[in-house]
Amino acid sequence: MPIGLKLYPELCHGCGNCVIACPVNSANSPEIAGGKGPTDDVEVIMIVEDGEITMRNSGLCGKCGTCAESCPVDAIRLEELE
Amino acid sequence: MEILYIKVKVSVINTHGVIMPKHIVSGLRYLAAVELRKKGYTQREIAERLVMDRSTVSHYLNGRNISWNSIEIADVIRNLCPRDFSILTYALVKDKEKTRNIVKICSIRKYECNVKNTCIACGICVDVCFMSAIVLEDLKAQIDPNWCCGCILCGEQCPTNSIEIKEVEDNGDNRTY
Amino acid sequence: METTELIEGKDISVERTGEEERKLEFKDALCASCGLCEKICPVSAIEVTPAGAMVRTEQDVSKIDIDENKCVLCGMCSCICPFEALDLKIGGESIKDMEEYPSLLKSAKISEDTCIYCKACETACPQDAITIARQLPERAKLVSGEIEIDKETCVDCGICEEMCPADAITLEHKFPSSDDPTVSSDIIVDKDKCVYCLVCKKACPVDAIKAVCRICSYGDYDINPEDSEIVGSSYIDDELCVNCGWCQEICPVDAAEVTKPFEGTLTLNQDLCQGCETCVMACPCNVLSFPQSTEPGKKPEKLHKDEKYCIYCGACQKACPVGAIDVERTKINSTPVRSKSWQKAFDSVKTK
Repeated sequence: MPIGLKLYPELCHGCGNCVIACPVNSANSPEIAGGKGPTDDVEVIMIVEDGEITMRNSGLCGKCGTCAESCPVDAIRLEELE
Repeated sequence: MEILYIKVKVSVINTHGVIMPKHIVSGLRYLAAVELRKKGYTQREIAERLVMDRSTVSHYLNGRNISWNSIEIADVIRNLCPRDFSILTYALVKDKEKTRNIVKICSIRKYECNVKNTCIACGICVDVCFMSAIVLEDLKAQIDPNWCCGCILCGEQCPTNSIEIKEVEDNGDNRTY
Repeated sequence: METTELIEGKDISVERTGEEERKLEFKDALCASCGLCEKICPVSAIEVTPAGAMVRTEQDVSKIDIDENKCVLCGMCSCICPFEALDLKIGGESIKDMEEYPSLLKSAKISEDTCIYCKACETACPQDAITIARQLPERAKLVSGEIEIDKETCVDCGICEEMCPADAITLEHKFPSSDDPTVSSDIIVDKDKCVYCLVCKKACPVDAIKAVCRICSYGDYDINPEDSEIVGSSYIDDELCVNCGWCQEICPVDAAEVTKPFEGTLTLNQDLCQGCETCVMACPCNVLSFPQSTEPGKKPEKLHKDEKYCIYCGACQKACPVGAIDVERTKINSTPVRSKSWQKAFDSVKTK
């Protein structure tokens, strides 16, 4: 089974750490690394919407685990996908 | 192959009541003994080659101690395609060395074997060959055409499609499998 | 003929029984997730687990996955692996010991004749593959002098004991009683420990210590050179060693010699790099690092490399989520490749 990004919105506190830490997100939009939310036209892997983490483009993920490391509540993980 | 196999089964049931696998093996050995006799081997040499008693060879060659029915079935098996012939013979004889001998002696056809440079020497062909005709040399499979029975089991299993077996017919026509 | 897979912890073995018995063994602890096996496999039987996931998060899976239904046990992965993580055995013998199979020319050696056992390599080795055992000379044999404490004059203040840098002076402290109203029963100098530095003599408030250092006054005339010899031994664990060259580069006396399996180039795209550190964690050779700023307001390069230590395995490139690293292999140092298909496979892992 391949390893991929898995979200647990029910655990998410909506802090947005993962969105900012993700190197793919910040490569696509430098504003994200600065802490500013992405504009609608920027392709991001995940985003916080209504206080919950939401997947946008899982295909962009390079599986580096930076998001998982930055999450304080284990709401985003690299796991074996079913 | 399936149709032919069913035919064999039918003939087993219809014409003789019960024929055991060992009877068919006897038939195959008979065919092999006859072939060797044709090539001028003595009874002693035939017995050695087929790992049999000399007296049994003598009986076989004189048509004794063997039912014609077993010979008929063995002959049907021999005339199956090379692949079915070798697989079926192995299933009956259950010994690689003996299968190898019988198939080699009874095969009428000749083959030309070529291994392409794409061979990666994984050794699967060596493992599947009933005839032990393949060895690996310098990371490439080498097939001994004298032992190749044309079953092309090797070619079917080859992960890189590197094996070419061609039947060499008497009229010089080459047929690729 | 049957192919079976056995997983023990995170180690994997794939076995095929037949005319010849073939067994491919994978040792997870040695794997650096570089992906060379995945790249060279002619039947696409190997999949490497993303390195970032392995180094950052806890995973129950092995660093690679071998599909036993696809694996034909040809051994190419075993011959290209620079980390000895994969090994194909035919009839119990490793193909790395067989002449007909190409094997990577890689080695690391420490010359016992030259080594001064300074342990720099042991400290620098990224894989803790080096052990330096050394035996130091007896300190007492390297100094010469005399020391004596006049116990009549001594007031048992303990200042010398406190100040001695070699812990050579011991005062037997005690509580004074009416029949023996002293605070110490004895004062002892351990002459094996004393280095005749004369600190005690200078510190003593009542001048009770007489001491002299012969080395200082007469030079080293009475020191036997053999007594100052340092003996030791060095050991490199070949299984753990990744032939990165750290030992060779850091050795002050050029005692270490390393041959690397690949040659090539490593290119970092500083603009693409987002500083996630995944490559730094993935690199088995400590080639990459984040430099510290040297002065306020001065921005150093984002990601620093030193190719002296690089073996061009490609682990960093495979780990980078934004494609900021490019590893190019231009040469594979190996024993002769005897088959055309194997040569082609080896060539396929060259360049990118």
